[in-house]
Amino acid sequence: MRRTSIRIIAGAVAIAGWTGSAAAQNAAEVNIVLSEQPANLEPCGTIITNVGQILSRNVVEPLTIIDPASGQPTAGLATEWTQTDPNTWQIKLREGVKFQDGAAFDAKAVKFSIERMTSGKVTCSNMAKFGDAKLTVTAVDDHTVEIKSDKPQPILPTLLSVIMVVSPNTPADKAVNDPVGTGPFKLSSFTQQTVVLEAFDGYWGEKPSITKASYVWRPESSIRAAMVETGEADLTPSIAIQDATNPETDFAYLNSETTAIRIDAGFAPLDDVRIRKALNLAIDWEGLAQLFGADAQRASQMAVKGINGHDDTLAPWAFDAEKARALIAEAKAAGVPVDTEIELIGRNGIYPNGAEAMEAMMAMWQDVGLNVKLTMLDVNDWLRYLQKPFPEGRGPNLLQMMHDNNKGDAAFTIPIFYSSAGSYSTMDDVALDKEVADAMAATGEDRTAKFKAIFNKVHDDLAVDIPMFHMIGYTRVGTRLDWKPDITTNSEIPLANIGLKN
Amino acid sequence: MMLGYIGRRTYHSAISVIGLLTLVFFLTRLTGDPSALYLPLDSSLEAREAFARLNGLDQPIHVQFLDYLQNLLSLDFGQSLRQNRSAIEVALEAFPATLKLAFVAITLSTTLAVIFGALAAARPGSLFDRAVSLISLAGASTPDFWIAIVGILVFAVGFGMLPTSGTGTALHWIMPIVVLMLRPFGLLVQVVRGTMISVLASPYIKTARAKGMKRRRIIFGHALRNSLLPVITVAGDLTTGLINGAVVVETIFGWPGIGKLMIDSIIQRDFAVVQSTILVTAIAIFIVNIAIDLLYVALDPRIRY
Repeated sequence: MRRTSIRIIAGAVAIAGWTGSAAAQNAAEVNIVLSEQPANLEPCGTIITNVGQILSRNVVEPLTIIDPASGQPTAGLATEWTQTDPNTWQIKLREGVKFQDGAAFDAKAVKFSIERMTSGKVTCSNMAKFGDAKLTVTAVDDHTVEIKSDKPQPILPTLLSVIMVVSPNTPADKAVNDPVGTGPFKLSSFTQQTVVLEAFDGYWGEKPSITKASYVWRPESSIRAAMVETGEADLTPSIAIQDATNPETDFAYLNSETTAIRIDAGFAPLDDVRIRKALNLAIDWEGLAQLFGADAQRASQMAVKGINGHDDTLAPWAFDAEKARALIAEAKAAGVPVDTEIELIGRNGIYPNGAEAMEAMMAMWQDVGLNVKLTMLDVNDWLRYLQKPFPEGRGPNLLQMMHDNNKGDAAFTIPIFYSSAGSYSTMDDVALDKEVADAMAATGEDRTAKFKAIFNKVHDDLAVDIPMFHMIGYTRVGTRLDWKPDITTNSEIPLANIGLKN
Repeated sequence: MMLGYIGRRTYHSAISVIGLLTLVFFLTRLTGDPSALYLPLDSSLEAREAFARLNGLDQPIHVQFLDYLQNLLSLDFGQSLRQNRSAIEVALEAFPATLKLAFVAITLSTTLAVIFGALAAARPGSLFDRAVSLISLAGASTPDFWIAIVGILVFAVGFGMLPTSGTGTALHWIMPIVVLMLRPFGLLVQVVRGTMISVLASPYIKTARAKGMKRRRIIFGHALRNSLLPVITVAGDLTTGLINGAVVVETIFGWPGIGKLMIDSIIQRDFAVVQSTILVTAIAIFIVNIAIDLLYVALDPRIRY
């Protein structure tokens, strides 16, 4: 009797295990493990990492696609674009495209999608890229729309990469969790444990190799890495450096994030440029790099290579403690209160080894004679210091931060950091404001040159911040997939680009 | 008599729950403005104001509270800001996963603790007793996240016997349950052992032995029943802890329970979901407490309500 029971239990467990592992074996199906559960699947939130990695270019498609190498917009659902005056663009739409619910993709659908994003009835994270611009959309014919802005939009084709076109049957007045787009995959299910996408037979483009993708989420990096190693998952887009131990499956990539310290230039002694330069010179950058991994790149500006306006020739600050001490002494002699306590505000969990980096930097600044004290805050408290309006009663402070720009243009970096109206900016420099405004209105090579000039000015002349490193992401890809991550991986993982070996 | 007691407890618990929800409502609002977390960091001030308006967060806090109470009367618990759906639906969807995990873990750990604790108490100081004490103390003191990660590395990655995480098959239950039951098992073994040693020294046990009663019947038939009241008290306390959510186990093993949901909602300032998860767990804890009181009566006829 006892033996029979044991056999029954063993058999049940074996069958249960077999059923579980068999699910992961289907050749054209992939399992992807993300670091966070997508809170919702609203297409207006695809700039949020865990929403974009599932939806963007899989379920919903943008009007344009940013080329990861050049940063330039390329054809998506829009095939051509022409600027008819500084505020107006005419957009030609792709023909022969259908939504997953059978509705036709045309000018009316694009008008509907943009009006849904701008109506204010749905919280639309993607619209943040447009700032406070007001857009008016007119259907010129079935496959042409005219987009007019209340202010010049020289990079509208770049901005169109965040406009995800949804079916006109989507509710216009509330956020949804069942998006319908034109992408190669349609949503099959969304539960607290998984999102499943299945191939859309009526897709206008080339048929992807993958027929089905299941997404799960595990916050622990070591678990995600283990899931790919054991074959439970095929891909995980973000693992910690200490888990990236297998050169065959683990790929390092420049992930478009830049770490930095913002200097609050509104308070003495930080309002003195000599002190700001000393802060940059006092850091042993080679030593600090140990905390960021061998592949991290030293940053001289807040946008990575490939972003329009990034200046490759701009050299980062080098470590020179003696020069830092000399600048501090010079400032002191000029009456600058260099002994004033400066609060270094860090954020818990901002990136791996973030707290250790802050402790090391504090020690290096103290070593050259600055009175820096570290305070580590949780994200909620830290945000109060990041965005305007800044907290009342704050003193001189340095803020640990990380900025992500993978949208191809320094317009998504420079105004918020360096113009006096920028939401992160502590600067109040009329001349710089004018330079930023001029650059934002410029186009082509002139625009690139103006952005480069600003990056040079804020680095060499004003030293308004302390750029640290362009960050590296690590992705583990199972051996049966033919795919490598790139600068866009933090915001999208187009399944159509994933090949299957054998 | 008993129904009257349950009625009184229900009334008092309802007052406590209302007080708790009021406190939670105001405390969550002290954590700050949700728009700072929901909208991209580079959102304009206008966008943040529009977000607050859309979600009623621009109203004075006392107006928001009155709206909340009014909606509660019609069983409207509000919308999740993150998930675009009813907050109570989100909480109720996550709760069964936690409840099942808690029920299995506490049942197994209590059963095993009673058996091992009673046998250890029968021969204090023996090799078996020392081994049980060592294992139970180790179980009660080792951090569960460490055991969970080592368990995954050994049994999933190393031997490939079990899945790393997730749900779906019987095998997915093994590691979460084992990790979750270690601490309750460790604590309960110590409680059972201590109580049993004291009960086994009682005169009536000596009388039973003198009458020639079998050892197994003395331990499990007489001594154990009288040792169970403190065990139930501790097990009840551990159960309420597990019902609140096994956050570490849920996080590491990707178990879609209410503990992780609650923590995520607090961090993300999803006020309606925080309130709903607390309401659901508070009611569950109230029911568990009533059940424990009724168990007392069943086990000890001297207890009357």
